[in-house]
Amino acid sequence: MSAAPGSTLWLLRHELRLAWHGAALNKNRTRRPGGATIAIWGVGWVALHLVAFMLMRELDRDGMDAAHLAIPLTVMVITCATFMLSSALRSAVLSLFERGDLDLLLSSPLPSRSIFAVRLLGIAAAVATPYVFLAGPFANAALLVGHPGWLGLYVMIGTCAMVMACAGMLLTLALVRVLGARRTRVVAQVVAAVAGALLFLLTQAYNLTRHGDSAGPGILALLASHRAFGTDSALWLPGHAVLGAPLPLLAAVLLAGVAFALTVHRTHGFFVHGLQQAAGTGRARTRPAGALRFRFRRNLFDTIVIKEWRLIARDPNLIAQVLLQLIYLVPMLLPVLRDGKTGPAIGAALTLLCSSLAGSLTWIVVLAEDASDLLLSAPAPRRTIQLAKLAAATMPPLLLVALPLCWLIAHAPLTGMLFAFTVCAAVLSAGLIVLWTGRPAPRSDFKTRGKENFLCSMLEMIGSLCWAGLGWLLTSLSTQGATWMAVAAAVVLALGLGVLLLAWMLRRHPV
Amino acid sequence: MLIDSPALRIAALRKSFGRPAVDGLDLTVRRGELYALLGPNGAGKTTTLRMVTGLLAPDTGTVEVLGIDIARDPAGAKRGMAYLPDDPLLYGKLKPTEYLEFVAGLWGIRAEDAEPRARHLLDWLDLAPHAHELTEGFSRGMKQKLALAGALIHEPELLILDEPLTGLDAAAARQVKDLLVSHVEKGGTVILTTHILEVAERLAQRIGIIRQGRLIAEGTLAELRARTHGGSLEDVFLHLTEGQAG
Repeated sequence: MSAAPGSTLWLLRHELRLAWHGAALNKNRTRRPGGATIAIWGVGWVALHLVAFMLMRELDRDGMDAAHLAIPLTVMVITCATFMLSSALRSAVLSLFERGDLDLLLSSPLPSRSIFAVRLLGIAAAVATPYVFLAGPFANAALLVGHPGWLGLYVMIGTCAMVMACAGMLLTLALVRVLGARRTRVVAQVVAAVAGALLFLLTQAYNLTRHGDSAGPGILALLASHRAFGTDSALWLPGHAVLGAPLPLLAAVLLAGVAFALTVHRTHGFFVHGLQQAAGTGRARTRPAGALRFRFRRNLFDTIVIKEWRLIARDPNLIAQVLLQLIYLVPMLLPVLRDGKTGPAIGAALTLLCSSLAGSLTWIVVLAEDASDLLLSAPAPRRTIQLAKLAAATMPPLLLVALPLCWLIAHAPLTGMLFAFTVCAAVLSAGLIVLWTGRPAPRSDFKTRGKENFLCSMLEMIGSLCWAGLGWLLTSLSTQGATWMAVAAAVVLALGLGVLLLAWMLRRHPV
Repeated sequence: MLIDSPALRIAALRKSFGRPAVDGLDLTVRRGELYALLGPNGAGKTTTLRMVTGLLAPDTGTVEVLGIDIARDPAGAKRGMAYLPDDPLLYGKLKPTEYLEFVAGLWGIRAEDAEPRARHLLDWLDLAPHAHELTEGFSRGMKQKLALAGALIHEPELLILDEPLTGLDAAAARQVKDLLVSHVEKGGTVILTTHILEVAERLAQRIGIIRQGRLIAEGTLAELRARTHGGSLEDVFLHLTEGQAG
């Protein structure tokens, strides 16, 4: 399809091309995805179709009751909409304030409304794409088993993505007016990350609270018994739209259209009237020169520790990402915590969490150093710098865990003492593994650090599991005294030390 | 630190990244002079400076800073010098006061000495009103000035600057140039690379021109002009580096 240069269609194609390049950058950030990547995604999509087909055939056999299906489908639409809002926020900040091509576009003869319309369409397309990939096979499979109404799913994904793209854009503009562009970027990243994590935890709440297998149907039965939540309630219209009901679908399309028109108008006004510049001015607080306050430290160690803590404390986005990693560990720990033996379970859980936190902080403090050349060009001893950085990374998890450990020691002294040992060992081990085997990277790569350095991540994970397992085995050994536990504890200890030794042997040598 | 030794002595320095970046470079910079190292893009200027400052290990050759071999005693050699790369070495989440506290800590400056120097530098470079803001919001010029303050807080004898005037407005550029001249007048040594030949022409006492990792010409402006039968430094530079692409 050819489009005249300068037309809206041409601009949209340019926007989508940029989104394609940006969404799937390879490791070196230089090329778009290759044939192999596309082939893997293709195979995955075909596999999803098979799963979807089996599920849809089951539903078809059960009669495909639209009234009841609309309830879980509505819940899914709302859940996905929240995720979409989270990614729309990120995309809006990127698209409006980070990509840096708006001035070029606005200085061209292209109509400015078209520019913002295309930008909004680009965000909506980027937001919708993963859902089309994941949910599309279900609509296709439903078509195959004789339920074409399910094609409404595509329409709902499109309209939902558009509404959420508009919401993300408007929210971003509002934040920029209040906070300025730079802070908005941070807030948007934190909100996006927290929104994702909250939903993740909600999905895990069922696992956390259930005592049998009847909670899900029980909730549905409870909802059905309340008039406002009955199967004929208007609340479930999004679900009916997914199933192809014409009126709800039409309403969704109209809503998306109105939201699109309003948002384009609003965004256009915001930029054309220079509100982003106004938002950025007058925020710098200045103080008279006489108010200069210095706190020069007596030694290099303290200076480095304080500097590292300041850098972390002032980066809410990074803190959110680090804490999110811990949140995602919670479901893994639930089975451990649910088995009734809370002493060893809590100890093992704390060991695992602290180790993960120490690994993350060491990565940030040691490997994501912003001015490594400054440190290298200074006459400061390298060993002192590394020790201070390691201390800066390992002290926060140890301080965080101090209180629960004290509680554990008060309630079960031997267990508490054993876990105090394994927590310290795990924290130190994680810090050293990252220090020795990690590769320097910018802080913005924090989320992808596992993929960038698989070996380091694996060693870190195995080390953590070993120390947590050792704590568990030692406490169990102290109460049950089984011989196999002593053997297992010795093996796990040897493995933990072996991982550390391997990391030391593979350590990277700086210049 | 040997008083009679030159500020910098480089002998037979080589570094290769697949192809030679610095190829048998010999260079001597005397104490108390402002030396400009010029060359087209990719000539090996930054690689040379990174080896001088200990950021990069040479393949062969020696570097002596203030009479100290940087390979044998890196801490001793680094103690008397400061390096300011073209991309300022700053932390966006630190305030200028905190940045200077940190740099002073790295060079082991006592608080009693560091505080008045930091205060003076922030005042002199017009950064005092912004001393309590995070540097991530600073303009390029403000960042460059803060990095310069960091480089000067330990009063280095040898100041090495890689493209120090890039992106600075006229006022900030003037401040930096005055600072360099003042540093030399006080007995310090400055080595700088720049693409702004007028700066080298006006400030430098000696100029070295490097091409493909080798020093192809060196001397005062008058000596270089004499070699190429007159003209401006630009004429001399283009004549010597003619035909070399970046």
